[in-house]
Amino acid sequence: MTAPLIISEETGLLLAVVLGFFFGLFLERGGLGNPHKLTGVFYLTDFVVPKVMFTAIIVASIGFYFLSDLKLLDLNRVWIVPTFFWPQIAGGALFGIGFVISGYCPGTAVAGLASGRLDALVTLAGISIGSLLFAVVYPVIEDFYQSSPMGDATVPGITGANHWTILALLVIIAGGMFFLMEKFERKVR
Amino acid sequence: MTKNTFWSPYAAGFGLGLTLLATFYLAGWGLGASSAFSLLASVGLNKAHPDFAQRLTYVSQYLNVASPLKNWMLFEVGGLFLGALSAALLSRNFRFQVDRGSSMSTFNRLIAAVSGGIMIGFASRLARGCTSGVALSGGAQLALGGWIFVIAMFASGFIAAALFRRLWR
Repeated sequence: MTAPLIISEETGLLLAVVLGFFFGLFLERGGLGNPHKLTGVFYLTDFVVPKVMFTAIIVASIGFYFLSDLKLLDLNRVWIVPTFFWPQIAGGALFGIGFVISGYCPGTAVAGLASGRLDALVTLAGISIGSLLFAVVYPVIEDFYQSSPMGDATVPGITGANHWTILALLVIIAGGMFFLMEKFERKVR
Repeated sequence: MTKNTFWSPYAAGFGLGLTLLATFYLAGWGLGASSAFSLLASVGLNKAHPDFAQRLTYVSQYLNVASPLKNWMLFEVGGLFLGALSAALLSRNFRFQVDRGSSMSTFNRLIAAVSGGIMIGFASRLARGCTSGVALSGGAQLALGGWIFVIAMFASGFIAAALFRRLWR
């Protein structure tokens, strides 16, 4: 049977809770509910964020393209994250500043709150306010928001390289980064 | 201050990667977080000021569905909370606190939290998601948008950290 599986709304919502549960469990156990560890990468003291993030990306990506090559996962029916070049550059840049100042990102703020941190709750209130602020100014920035659309562009797609070539490169780069991070952390401590 | 009872980041990342893969396989999309708060804020605004809420195009997209709260990402974030709570309790890592840098007052910490949060909330809408929905999920799909978001976020994070050294040091 080819995935993604078609499921009813109720089953889907139950599945959402179960998958979210594991998401939160691994975030908290990785130390990503802790703002000191979360911001560590930006101060070059603790590289847990890129370690968890790039390990997760590589594991999921290898599985994603492996299942697709085996025709067990139909990518035409998977929602691919859309690319809007300049809005995502600008959004990413503003996000990075907010990340350093608040000490969290949205998912890790939920993990921070779940481990008893009231500053994470205040961050989540800020995130809600920021979302509404976006909605209020939306008519003014809609043109920029919709600019430079690239649909479901992927790195293999735009470079013309095979996805396994890109993944091999990613593994080599991440492996090299992990090696340097381990060396650097040992030096700092 | 932090007693390190955490798992190896590579082990946590491996588990997170398998969770993301299972989400792609079963649901047909990735994990997310920020949109749940955009949805909750929109539903809240609609309760308080329905006329104003309905006039905002971006808000009304959440409201003009059969039951706004029966939302996949909202339930997933509910699960995220329960999973992180269970992990924190079972590992005795749960503690009520305002977590802050050593040179910061509690009041300033909360101001920083809400200000940074507002930037994140705005930025997540502009980028069509956050570190979960765009960076992690898009990154694993090798989606271009995921990778440009990651690069922009780390680049500006390093600059912000240099400018705001006293926040966390």
